[in-house]
Amino acid sequence: MGRSYFVDEAVGEYLSGLQAAPGSCVTGLLAGQSSPQRDFVVLAVQTPHRESEGQLKALKGVSPLDDIDVEWVTEHAKQVSRMLPGGLCVLGLFLVTPPELSKDAQNALKRLIFAVEKYIIKGRLWELSEEDVTDRVTLHICSKTKKLLCKTFDVKDPKSSAKPADWKYQTGISSSWPMLTCSVEVDLQIPVTGSSSDNTDKCMKDGLRRWAKQIEAAYCLINGRQALDDSELISGQAHVCSFQKKNPKTTNRQTLPARIFVSDEQSELGERSSALVQVCSGSMRVRGVVHCRAYIHNNKPKARHAAQAIKRDIINTVCSRVEMFLEDLCINEGSQKGLCSGQQALPRRVFAPMPISGLSVCDYMFPDESTADVAERLKEMLDCETPEEDIDTSLENNQLFSIISGFEITDSQDDDSSKHVSEIQAENHKIQKPPKYYAVGSGRYSSFMCGPCSSHCSPCHSHISTVFQLMEKAKMFV
Amino acid sequence: MVYSEECDFIFRLKGILEFACQLDNPNGVQSQSTISKSFQDLRSKVTSKNIVFTVCNSPVLIWPNTGFQSSVESLTEASACGDILQWIESDDGGSKKSSKKKDKKKSGPTVVNMKLLFEVTEPAGNTAPSLIRVSTQQHCVKMPLPLDCALSVTTDERLETVCTGLVEALNKQLADMEEVVLQYRKGSSFLVPQPFHFQLPEPAGLITVVYPAGVPDSQLQAVREDLHRKFELPCDRPYLRRANAFHFPDAAYKDGYLRNPHIHLNPPNIEDAKLYLVQGVYSYHHYMQDHVDDNGWGCAYRSLQTICSWFQQQGYVETAVPTHTQIQQALVDVGDKEPRFVGSRQWIGSIEVQAVLNQLLGVTSKIMFVSQGSELATKGRELANHFQTEGTPVMIGGGVLAHTILGVVWSENTGQIRFLILDPHYTGGEDLQTITDKGWCGWKGPEFWDQNAYYNLCLPQRPKSI
Repeated sequence: MGRSYFVDEAVGEYLSGLQAAPGSCVTGLLAGQSSPQRDFVVLAVQTPHRESEGQLKALKGVSPLDDIDVEWVTEHAKQVSRMLPGGLCVLGLFLVTPPELSKDAQNALKRLIFAVEKYIIKGRLWELSEEDVTDRVTLHICSKTKKLLCKTFDVKDPKSSAKPADWKYQTGISSSWPMLTCSVEVDLQIPVTGSSSDNTDKCMKDGLRRWAKQIEAAYCLINGRQALDDSELISGQAHVCSFQKKNPKTTNRQTLPARIFVSDEQSELGERSSALVQVCSGSMRVRGVVHCRAYIHNNKPKARHAAQAIKRDIINTVCSRVEMFLEDLCINEGSQKGLCSGQQALPRRVFAPMPISGLSVCDYMFPDESTADVAERLKEMLDCETPEEDIDTSLENNQLFSIISGFEITDSQDDDSSKHVSEIQAENHKIQKPPKYYAVGSGRYSSFMCGPCSSHCSPCHSHISTVFQLMEKAKMFV
Repeated sequence: MVYSEECDFIFRLKGILEFACQLDNPNGVQSQSTISKSFQDLRSKVTSKNIVFTVCNSPVLIWPNTGFQSSVESLTEASACGDILQWIESDDGGSKKSSKKKDKKKSGPTVVNMKLLFEVTEPAGNTAPSLIRVSTQQHCVKMPLPLDCALSVTTDERLETVCTGLVEALNKQLADMEEVVLQYRKGSSFLVPQPFHFQLPEPAGLITVVYPAGVPDSQLQAVREDLHRKFELPCDRPYLRRANAFHFPDAAYKDGYLRNPHIHLNPPNIEDAKLYLVQGVYSYHHYMQDHVDDNGWGCAYRSLQTICSWFQQQGYVETAVPTHTQIQQALVDVGDKEPRFVGSRQWIGSIEVQAVLNQLLGVTSKIMFVSQGSELATKGRELANHFQTEGTPVMIGGGVLAHTILGVVWSENTGQIRFLILDPHYTGGEDLQTITDKGWCGWKGPEFWDQNAYYNLCLPQRPKSI
């Protein structure tokens, strides 16, 4: 009794169209949604080509399977996860091999799938619940016969063995999936104890984790109805009309607004009789509005699963952009990170249509970037061309303060912090426009812009050693 | 527990609001205004459009600050607050109803529990987030404020008025909390302000007082004196100690003991007679409780425990109800018994009860001696007076048994008398039905007593304190 994967036909077309150099392998990701009864695959993306000049490895000689860059595959998986809205996740891998390697392919896939899962969940602020499906799919394709072999592994159990699974193609899998949306106001005050950058990271993590728990525990209304129990999300909508079946492009996609209500209840604080007082070397505040989206399949979904999907998206989007910002900062400020003050814009979220399925994907734009940069990243990460005009940047507004001329003291009456902010305005002028290295490992490797010489070569050789040093540092986060 | 006849509902709103502030110098002059500013922010939060009341066990959500909106169409600003009941699912429909039918007494107002929440969606703007970093040495203070507001209303009061009232109550409570926090703050040490509800005699009704956590009642004497003056309360008995806090009718007692089982009984109908009952709340202590097998010897100990529970719940003492061992130890400590008494199964009598009440609780008692059981019928006046002035449970020992007297029905003219008896010899579980049906708590006539045995009664006296 294995799992059943319902796969969009367009994914099948993509997989058939993959070209592998003779004798070599192609790896890639499969993304979609799992539900207790069945799983849906709406996206397949091959692992992008990695620039590896200066690192020409001598072929290890045993097998092209050994040459699979596990680190690169996991990094790609992480980047793609960040681009998926709520409800969707990387739920497996595919591997195309020549016929002679088919036997060993299973082992390679097993290694990869566990490595990917482990890397993706690092730094995640929410835990999988008991109901979450922990099976991940591995798809092996023989480059000659095009034969598919589909199996699953339970990533909760390192000793698990491959179980057979069904791989079925259908059209318009996600065409009627409802989309949940909301805009969430975030205002987190996070005290920073200690002064090193590791401390700052840890404090930020702790602060975000506490907030994430609040969101997970929050009361949720979807489309005006309570989303607690096992009741169905949308009554009477399970039937997809035959017109839609024939014409999957015409979507009848419902948009369901979600509303989230939190309380400040923190069970860890418990029955205190006095306040918690910490001596801090400073504080951090994350403040602004995030736009969130999640999709839920339309095979009788339960309201609380939908609530869970949108809540996870809320948590992920805040966490991702903070992570990206701090990674970027680490590269630029190095060890000075813990000591500076100021207000800086976190990357903002933009949405673009997903290849194939009509769902959307997202990306994060730093203040000095443009939709061209986003389009480049989408090409590299998701292997699809997106016209710039299709990239929707209107959902989150650019932060109002001007980066060049200083910054607006927001109406945060945060006690004593405002006067300090104005004092170091001059100092921050420098920080606001750092020379940026978009390096591999910090997740922004597609547009390789070398700050110091502003050339768009990839990478700029005169600065490459610095870049790789800073890359190592970037991986320190989490 | 006497409820105002008019009040049908109590709307209770609870929630936690986190108080946070950053102090440069906790001992500096700026710190007070920083703290006040943070409280001001919390008050703004509570009057903002984002606050939401959710009615527990129901799908009802109310936005009180947006001209009253609710998540349920049929509840509008014009709705009477009683309309809310149809939306609330009770925990166990069946058994509650049957016991209510037997209860001829009004069981008090219906409590509607609500929770305070804040909406984080539907924001005013949509500017993407920024990170603001400040690096100065600061003291970061965080404290969860346990907000708890209660309003007594009649059934035809409009729901909208109730919600506005609750928002006002939240505001006032935050102001009270600010006062308490500032008053008891020492540098960077802050005590959590905790609200307590008290049911005072009309016209005051249900009020809420904020006390600092960790400061014992004994140190809050001056605060209580002020409040007694303000509410014109008698100065010789406690109304505002933490133990006097109002017990909401829908809340179970966590310790599992039954409270005041006698209220489920109808007093005997004697012509021309008046009812004189114990005042306040006691717990029913009896054989076999607390995993102590005292069947056959512990009856006086249990009666003593019932009396101790009364003093604790009226707020006179903070010590827990003593165990058999603690009772025995107290008697050794006062020199009344030898050390080997501790751990034994020896009986005690009224004199020992008096001694223990004095030693452990600081309570004095009067002893009444009756040479023959038949004479008890003539003690109506004394007992009536006792229940009127002191209102404490009475321990009676004689023959080979000890009991607790909780009240009398007595006619001054005819001398007819009945005694309300709480029997500590019961060995079963805390089953109210059995206890009342089988007379373990029940009204007895003068023939209940052994007509030939002599009896001693211990009548505990209320200390004069607030």
